[in-house]
Amino acid sequence: MASRTHQLTVGRPPRGTLGTIAETLESIWERRELISRLTLTAIRRRGADSVLGHIWWVLDPALQMVIYTILVTFIRQRSQPDFPLFIFVALLPWKWFSSALGTASESIRKRDKVLRQIAFPQITLPVANIVESVFEFCVGLIPLFALYLVYPSHLTMWVLALPLIIIVQLLVTIPFAITLSAVNVFYRDIGNTLTHVLRLWFYLSPSLYSIETMRNMVKNYPALDFLVSLNPFTWIFSGYRDVLFEGRAPDLVPLLTLSVVSILFTFVAIHIFRRMAPNFVKVL
Amino acid sequence: MSNPPILLQGVGVQYDLHLSRKRSIRKTVYRVTREKVESERKFWALRNINLTVAAGESIAVIGPNGAGKSTLLQTLAGIIPVTEGKIEVRGDIATLLHLGAGLEDELNAEDNVMLVGAFLGIPAAVMRKKVKGILDFADLGKFARAEARTYSSGMRARLGFSIATSVEPDVLLLDEVLSTGDASFRDKSRGRIVSMMKKARAIVYVTHDLESAAEFCSRAIELRKGEIVAEGPAKRIIADYQKRMAANPAAYPVGKPGRARGR
Repeated sequence: MASRTHQLTVGRPPRGTLGTIAETLESIWERRELISRLTLTAIRRRGADSVLGHIWWVLDPALQMVIYTILVTFIRQRSQPDFPLFIFVALLPWKWFSSALGTASESIRKRDKVLRQIAFPQITLPVANIVESVFEFCVGLIPLFALYLVYPSHLTMWVLALPLIIIVQLLVTIPFAITLSAVNVFYRDIGNTLTHVLRLWFYLSPSLYSIETMRNMVKNYPALDFLVSLNPFTWIFSGYRDVLFEGRAPDLVPLLTLSVVSILFTFVAIHIFRRMAPNFVKVL
Repeated sequence: MSNPPILLQGVGVQYDLHLSRKRSIRKTVYRVTREKVESERKFWALRNINLTVAAGESIAVIGPNGAGKSTLLQTLAGIIPVTEGKIEVRGDIATLLHLGAGLEDELNAEDNVMLVGAFLGIPAAVMRKKVKGILDFADLGKFARAEARTYSSGMRARLGFSIATSVEPDVLLLDEVLSTGDASFRDKSRGRIVSMMKKARAIVYVTHDLESAAEFCSRAIELRKGEIVAEGPAKRIIADYQKRMAANPAAYPVGKPGRARGR
C-alpha cells in the first residue's frame, strides 16, 4: 500500500486541441468495458418497454415497408418494379441513422445523475448509443434476407459488398451523433426539430425513388443537382441499392470521399464535444 | 513523495447563468440581438480557494446553503473543471455525493454493480470479486435477482451506498451521506464510512451535521458565497460557527442539500 503511486488524477494540464482529440479517442478505447455495458443496457432497455420487445426491431421496418408499398402503388401509377425490396433497402439504413441520432442526442441528458456523481469520459455515452444502433440495424437485416425469398433474382454476389456500405454509413453517423449529444444539453429544441429535419431529409434523398429518377427531376436546375450530390444519403442509398437491389458494383469514388470527409468531421465533432463538456454538469 | 493529496491554489469556478438556464433557440436569438453586460450573466460559485489537505487529514466543509460546498466537492472529484487557479488531486478518488446514481432500472443488482463499477473505471475482474460483498451489505434479499425498477427507494439507496463504499480510495469525498436508509442501516453505514475514512489518505466531508463533522474531522473550513471565510481546527471553527448561527439563524439557512442554480 505504501508503495502505491499517488498519481495526479485531477488537474492534469490541458493538452491542446489535437491532444484533447487524441485523449478522447484513447479514453474510448480504455473505457471499452463501460461502452459494452452501456450498450447491453441500452439493448435491454429497448426490449423491455414494449410487449413484443426486440421483435419490433424486425417488425418496425417491415410494417413501414408495407405502408410505403401500399401508398406508392395507389398514388403513383407507373410504379417501380419489385417496390417492396426497392424501398426496404433504403428504409432499413434510414431507420438505423434516425434511431442512432435520436438516442445519441438524448444520451448525455438522460445520464445527468451519474454525470454529477462520477467523473468519467462523457464521450462513452453517445458512443454506446451508436454501437447499440449497429446491433439494431443488423437484426433488421433478417427480414431483408427473408425478402430475397420473394425476389430471388435480386440476390447477387454484390451482396458481399454490403459491409462496405455499412461502414461508410457508420462513419457518416458518428460525427452527427456526437455533435447532437453535446448540443442537445444546451438546446432542448434539438429533439423536437430533429424528427422533422430527418423526415424532410428522407424525402429529399433518393429513398422512395431511384437516384436516376431524382437526377431527372432536378436536371434543369444545376444548383439543386449540386445539392443532391452534397447529400451523403444520395450516395449511401445508391450504394445499398446497387449491392442489394440492382446487383451491380457500388460507385466507389463518392463513397470513399464521403468516408474521408466523415472522419475529418468526426475530429471536428470531438473537438466541439470536448469544448462543451466542461459545462455539461453545470447545466444538467 | 511530498505532494499533498489535495492542493488548491486560487481556484475559482464560474457558472454561466446564460448557459445554466434551460433555454431554447428563440431565447438565444433574442439575447444575441440585444446587448447585455457580461457580469450579469456570470456567477462565481467558488473564488480564491486556497486549500492544502495533507496525507492523513480530514477536512469538514461547513457553511449555509448555496455557499459552494457541493461545487467544491464536484471540483475536487474532477466532475466540474476549474475556471481559474490550480488544482491537484492525487490518487484514486471516491465520491459519495448522490447515492444511487448510475443505477439502471432494467438491470438486476449484480449487473448494476458491474455497470457502476464500469462508470468508476474499475476493471471487471476486480469488480466481479466485490459483487457478493456488495450485495450482502446492501441486504436486498430476494430482490437481488430482480430488476432495479422493482426496488423501494430505501433499497436503491442501500445498493448505491454499498457500491460507492466498496472501493478503497486515497481521496474520499463525502456529501451528507451518513443519513442513508432506515435506522439499522444507518448504524451499519456509519461504521462502513468510518472504516473507509480510516483507510483514506485524505477526506473532505461536506455536511450540515456539525456534531459529526466535529467528531470525524481534524480541520474545518467555512465557506460563504464561494469563498473561505474561516479555517482552523474543526472543533474551534464549528463551535464558532454554531455560536454565530444561534445568534442569527436567518443568516444560516440549513436544509436538504440541493442545487440552487440551474433551475
